[in-house]
Formats: sequence, structure tokens, C-alpha cells
Amino acid sequence: MNLYSQETDTTIADSLVVKHKYGLRVGIDASKLARTFLESDYSAFELNADYRLTYRLYAAGEIGNEEHTTSTDYLNSTAKGVYLKAGLDYNMYTNWAGMDNMVYFGFRFGISDFDQRLNSYTIYDTNSLTWGQTEVLEGKDFKGLSSSWLELIFGFKAEVLNNLFVGLNVQIKGRLSETQPDNFENIYIPGFGRTFDSGNFGLGFGYSVNYLIPLFKKAKQ
Amino acid sequence: MKKFIYLLLIVLFSCEKDDICPGTTRTTPRLVIEFYDLTSPDELLQVPGLFALGLGAEDTEVPINNEIVTTRSSIALPLKTDAIETEFILYKSYDIIDGEVIGNPDRIKVTYDSENVYVSRACGYKTTFDIQTFAITTDSDQWMISSKILITEITNENDIHVKILH
Repeated sequence: MNLYSQETDTTIADSLVVKHKYGLRVGIDASKLARTFLESDYSAFELNADYRLTYRLYAAGEIGNEEHTTSTDYLNSTAKGVYLKAGLDYNMYTNWAGMDNMVYFGFRFGISDFDQRLNSYTIYDTNSLTWGQTEVLEGKDFKGLSSSWLELIFGFKAEVLNNLFVGLNVQIKGRLSETQPDNFENIYIPGFGRTFDSGNFGLGFGYSVNYLIPLFKKAKQ
Repeated sequence: MKKFIYLLLIVLFSCEKDDICPGTTRTTPRLVIEFYDLTSPDELLQVPGLFALGLGAEDTEVPINNEIVTTRSSIALPLKTDAIETEFILYKSYDIIDGEVIGNPDRIKVTYDSENVYVSRACGYKTTFDIQTFAITTDSDQWMISSKILITEITNENDIHVKILH
């Protein structure tokens, strides 16, 4: 460096500028893939992408499908559908020269279009010792359901090989809307995850593997 | 951050209270009958030694859970959730002496429509009923004289659904 500094001022400035990679990063959620193979009541696939807008800001989104069967003592139901999430990520981490890792937070707006199938249920009857429990095996479909929500996302993405990133993130979600099935409820919403009796919140996590398609390089402004 | 992630993981994978049906949740309601005085139909009248039995297939007597012989003016009877009618035998002055059942048995039959109503993910569905008919089978030694349906919809056990004069 010092060698060059002996030359003109303009060349010093040029050589010291740290440039960062900009481009489209695409990937999958490996945790959903792993759960698909490991859990018999779960199957999902999610593609994710982000595009770097500025030094710290990224446009980000996920698209996927998810199928999950919930089984409790009294009922068994399957939710199946597609979802789309879009939002922004903000990189809080100041990288060293030549590095493009992320420790970020962001938000997403998510929508889901899904069906629920009530596979079976048992009549809740604390006096059932007299006549026996009634189990209803005749299934029922609730089609054309939808929901929207907002989520806060926290995570990191680290470049492990040139242009290959792995990352972990957690999501805290708040449901904005949902179509309520008649005489039932949304037990699981693809993209949102399980619902809770006590409120509109939800939780999620992801393990992403992404590849950056570098498009251009730009200095930090 | 690390602590926060641990906390989230615990929440994500731990067994949620939502998944366990609490015992206090309102269950499938039973049919509630009150007994009134035949000579003064607004007055409750206790039935001495009242005891109920269910009638299953081919009139087999089915003991009702928690049912014991007591003198009282009301009774709650569980209806079959997978049928459209249930029959019971109601004994007055029920007793067993030397292995012989004594007392006055009368037979009742209730027919109904039923509907399964969603309760929660943990408790599933409960059944509510809509009484269509209520009948006391006529016999030579009948202690229940007449009946009246007060509320046809059986949605809880706080209501009195049927009034019987004796």
C-alpha cells in the first residue's frame, strides 16, 4: 500500500476504496427440507431470495409450500398450502474489507392460500364412560382459506465459500387477517406456522443455504 | 441474542398448554330433568331413592357413570352422541334386598337431533342436542305421570330441559 501512496493522490484514493459485492442471492430453507425427510407429518419447500439495494439494505422474500398434520388427543387435521413473504433486511454488521456477511433484522409481509382437512375427531364428553367415546372418522375439507401477517426477522448469513452463504434466522409473527373455517379454526397456516389459542402471534425459524449471483461491485458510500 | 434464540427454541419445541384439554372446559351437556309435584306443578318434589340406568342395544341395562341411589329432585342423564335416541329406566325407591332389585322402574325415551360443535384444538368437538320427543312408557304401575319439554336445545347443564310430574 505504501508503495502506491508515493504516487499521485487520486490513485491512493482509488486503491483504498473497499468494494462490496451486489447481486441476487437465491437459496432454500434447509430446515424445511430436513424436516420433510425426518418428520412423517410434515412436508415443505421454500425458496428465498434477497437483492442488495444499498450497503446495509436488502429487499428480501420467500416463496414456498407447506403441509403439516396436527394431532391432539381429540382431533387430527392437515393444513396444506402456498405462501409468499416479502420485505426488507437491514444489515447491522460492519464488514471488514472483502467480506459480505450479515447480522440482520428485517420485516416481512406474508400471505398464505391454503386448505385444511379435518381428518378425524373425538367427541369431547366427560360423561363418555356410560356410552363410550364417539370418534368421527368422516373427514371434512375447508378449502380456499387465506391469511396475512407481519413478521419481524432476526438472523445472520455468513459466506462460507465464495458466494455461498449459510444463515440462521428466527421470525416473530403477528397475524393481520384470516378466513375462519365454519365450525373449526385455523390450527396451522402454511408460512405462518401453528396458531395459538391465546393470540394472533406465531413463531418460526429458518436455516438458509444461499448462492449469490454477483452482478456488480460498489463501494460503501 | 444467544439467550433470546435459546428462549425461542424452547418455546418452539416445548409442549404448549393449548394442546392439553383442560378439565374445566365445558363438555357435551347431559339432559337435565327436574321432578315436580303432580298436585302442585310449580313445586319441586324429591323422588325417594331415585336411580337411573341406561338402555343399550337389545334393552341391556347399562350403568351410568357416577350414578348413585339418592333422594333428589333433579337428574342429569348422558345421551348417546352417536345415535338419535336414548332410553333410560328411572327407578323410584330403588334398593337391593337379598340380591333382588326392588323399586318402581319407569322407562323413558328421548329422541333428538345432534350437532357437533367445535370447542378447541385440544378438546375437539362437543355434541349439542335438539330434543324432538320425550316420552314416558305407559305401564300399570307408573310413578312418573306426565312430562313437558321446557327447553328443546341442550347446550349446557345449567338449563332444565324436561319437567316431570309425579
